[in-house]
Amino acid sequence: MVNIEDLKSEARRVLKGGKVKYIIGYERASETWKANPIFLRTPEAVDKLVWDPTCFHNLVRFVVDEKRRKAKEKQPDTRPVGIVAKGCDSRAIIVLLQEKFIERMDVYIIGVSCESTGVIDERKLAKKTAGKTVRKVEFGEKQNYIVTTEDGTMDIPAAEIMADRCLECIANIPVVSDHLLGDKTKRAVARPFQSVEKLESLSQEDKWKFWTDQMKKCIRCYACRSACPMCYCDECVVDTINFAVTADTTAEEKAQRIKWLEKSPVDSENIFYHLVRAIHLAGRCIDCGECERACPVNIPLRMLNKKMEKEAKELFGYDVGFDADQPALISCFRDGDPEDFIR
Amino acid sequence: MDKILAKKDFPEWLKKLKAYRVYAPRKQDDVWNYEPVSGPDNVQLADVMTAVPAKKIVFPQREYFFEFRETDDNGTKLTELLPEDNPVVVFGVRPCEGKAVTLTDKVFSGEFEDPYYWKRRNATTLVGLACVNPPSPNCFCTSVNGSPHSKEGLDILLTDLGETFYAEALTKKGEKLIHEGQKLFKDPKPEDKKKAEKIQVEAEKKVRRKLNRIENVPLKLKGMFDSPLWDEESMSCIRCGICTYLCPTCHCFDMNDEVETTTPLQGKRVRTWDTCQFPDFTMHSSGHNPRPEKSSRLRQRINHKFQYFVEIWQNYQCTGCGRCISLCPVGIDIIKVVEKVRDYGS
Amino acid sequence: MGHNVYLPKLARIVEIKEEVSGVRPIKTFRTNFLDGDGFLYRCGQCAMLSVFGRGEVMISISSSPLVKDYLQFSVLKMGRVTSALHDMEVGGVLGIRGPYGNSFPLDEWKGKNIIFAGGGIGLAPMWGLVHMTLGNKKDYGDLTLIYGSRTSKDIVFKEELEELKKRMPVHLSIDVPEPGWSEFVGFVAQNVLDKKLSPHNAIAITCGPPIMIKTVIKALKDLKFEDEQIYTTVENKMKCGIGKCGRCNIGRHYVCKDGPVYSWAELKKLPQEY
Repeated sequence: MVNIEDLKSEARRVLKGGKVKYIIGYERASETWKANPIFLRTPEAVDKLVWDPTCFHNLVRFVVDEKRRKAKEKQPDTRPVGIVAKGCDSRAIIVLLQEKFIERMDVYIIGVSCESTGVIDERKLAKKTAGKTVRKVEFGEKQNYIVTTEDGTMDIPAAEIMADRCLECIANIPVVSDHLLGDKTKRAVARPFQSVEKLESLSQEDKWKFWTDQMKKCIRCYACRSACPMCYCDECVVDTINFAVTADTTAEEKAQRIKWLEKSPVDSENIFYHLVRAIHLAGRCIDCGECERACPVNIPLRMLNKKMEKEAKELFGYDVGFDADQPALISCFRDGDPEDFIR
Repeated sequence: MDKILAKKDFPEWLKKLKAYRVYAPRKQDDVWNYEPVSGPDNVQLADVMTAVPAKKIVFPQREYFFEFRETDDNGTKLTELLPEDNPVVVFGVRPCEGKAVTLTDKVFSGEFEDPYYWKRRNATTLVGLACVNPPSPNCFCTSVNGSPHSKEGLDILLTDLGETFYAEALTKKGEKLIHEGQKLFKDPKPEDKKKAEKIQVEAEKKVRRKLNRIENVPLKLKGMFDSPLWDEESMSCIRCGICTYLCPTCHCFDMNDEVETTTPLQGKRVRTWDTCQFPDFTMHSSGHNPRPEKSSRLRQRINHKFQYFVEIWQNYQCTGCGRCISLCPVGIDIIKVVEKVRDYGS
Repeated sequence: MGHNVYLPKLARIVEIKEEVSGVRPIKTFRTNFLDGDGFLYRCGQCAMLSVFGRGEVMISISSSPLVKDYLQFSVLKMGRVTSALHDMEVGGVLGIRGPYGNSFPLDEWKGKNIIFAGGGIGLAPMWGLVHMTLGNKKDYGDLTLIYGSRTSKDIVFKEELEELKKRMPVHLSIDVPEPGWSEFVGFVAQNVLDKKLSPHNAIAITCGPPIMIKTVIKALKDLKFEDEQIYTTVENKMKCGIGKCGRCNIGRHYVCKDGPVYSWAELKKLPQEY
């Protein structure tokens, strides 16, 4: 099990040495049982660090922010940022490295192993606790979680409230790290695409109905896009204006920018938005499930991306986010690639 | 006008509301939302907080303003598309949402009265449900001049007495709705009123979260425009629209022309929700952006709610529903942020 | 319920003048309402122009309220809507909502010397004011116009400026020297300093690009103008024009409704976020 004191001492060590600009980790505020991202700048602040089953967030999202911030600095601090990374998070770093969005020296990775249990699914837990106020969730010793509520503690088997993405996780140990904490035993997952298989078994009509019903719920808050570490484009099709505008951009260039979709949350626009996102994440999504977790209306977005991941696996034998030296799926071609889908 | 309605008679009341389009909270995929009611037996009134607030009934996320159409003589014809004024009733409205509607009322009134908002607002009867237990762990209505049984903005307030609802008609619209139920509504006994009041007082004590001593926050904010606090507090913001789209008091919107055909040109001008949290919200077409950073956008959200709105309307633009706290993907907590403003430098 | 505040009135373009060509073109449009009515407006106010299918844009009214035959808008081609507007021809139909916003406090300025300091398209919001004060010249002291553009080709209202020179002092400038240019070379702020304008019983109004406004205000301060004597207009991204959609605010002020005209004394008190 990851010892929180080990995590803290490593964080303190790198901050003391001035090795990193800051460390992105998790804290827990007194009012809530859930972890939140925290940015640690001093060794003293390290006491706030936590590691528990509510550390859902993929903090790599903030590495993307950091790159933007640095680009605006007149005299940029070129030190790396420290980041506490789970297996899935580390795969996101691999993809950013593959795509040359960041350099390896931009991040100092403190890897944390998810061992036999991953993070929980808040909505699954809510069903278990049935309205009781949750105070704390901890890892148990034997593939279980210890949940403290206002009424006492509950011992819940991991499989019952673990996030779906963790149930299907293929990288419980960080793929890349500078300092790795916790057990290094790899967990075998029998059916990594279990959730998609259910949906695949539906008829085409039922699938279409399922997704159109889900897409109707979308309020286009773009939390899915905003939470995604892979959605780092300067200019996204959903934005109403071009962020790459400078003083020299002519009115013509601005006027000719295609308005791909309307802001209206109607079926056509919602479906268009989500499909564009899914396609843009094909061979890039590392299944951290942040899109689905961030969604305030609970659209099972992870399933869309998981399906793309399955296609990449079956057609090209490609596992996303394991090898920074491997070319990205969409940017490479091999003689043996199947072509029967391009007709 | 105070009345008593037996819970078993509630579906009967609904059956009599044939002239109305009825909305009530419904759970789908673990998320509550106000949805049109399919049948009188399908309404359960409980202490739940919907994801999307009741504001969507009077201020929908998308609505038409008018249609434009190119005419044969190189002219243009505009057709006003006002909403229909069929009556609507919303059940289970939380008191904080009722209070929120009184705030959007202010914004959409005045010199430039908004006909779309008011057409819907005037046709809508809001039936509030007093909170017996706080519907969200992040409720803090009592800290922002509200309460779990606030009557502001509502037409009827129902209080759950166990077997019955204590029904208070607060407006003409509310009285009319109760009249539709005719004999289902009985006159309350004095002990019913006492019981309702007791439940309401108890409920106030159960509101767990507090945002105390904020009287000076509007003034304090004036001096904190350039504070480093905004950078710190917005570090984890991912610039999504949850906190504002799902806020019952946020009213910002966008207007766009949606083109249906180009020859001849025909389409509609459409209003949709918009949010100060999107970077393109304030960006000029020159590329200049007065709020380019997420820190400036968090600052705008807090300042609007706790300074600017107070200056204009003498009210916080926050009714303490806690949605922005509960639903923020990174746990940005408006209570914490405002407390930090309050305590800044002391 | 009265008139629908979001429904534009239709107006036909009756005249288009190409003021400036090139990559930053400016055109002046004169319009007549189809129903023959107009609207009453004050100097400094703006209107929402609709190019149907493209959207709306807030543009200052560049004609003086003394003119009854048309409404005039001078528009720099900048984005989606203004590009579409520039593509329109005489006879085309626009939508117009307004007038919106506050106006220059002309009553308070009676008896005072008035200085106009504009740059580029910034002459447009002041143009109606120049003509209004000139039309009621007996009510005011000396009128002076200082106007600068990047090159001589970028000057708006070129012929009108020549006419204006016969009726009031007009000091033009361009940013860099050109053969045949006999007037001032340099930025507007430098021209303001060069002309040694007196703050005595004076009001100075400055409109133009943000950097120009900043430097002109600094120049006026150097010439000992008080904050209360300096006026400017502010622009921000707008959609509704009536203080509801929430994007043009500076502090508690919605520029569409409470602006665009501010004295420097007022503007200084607001958050510096525009």
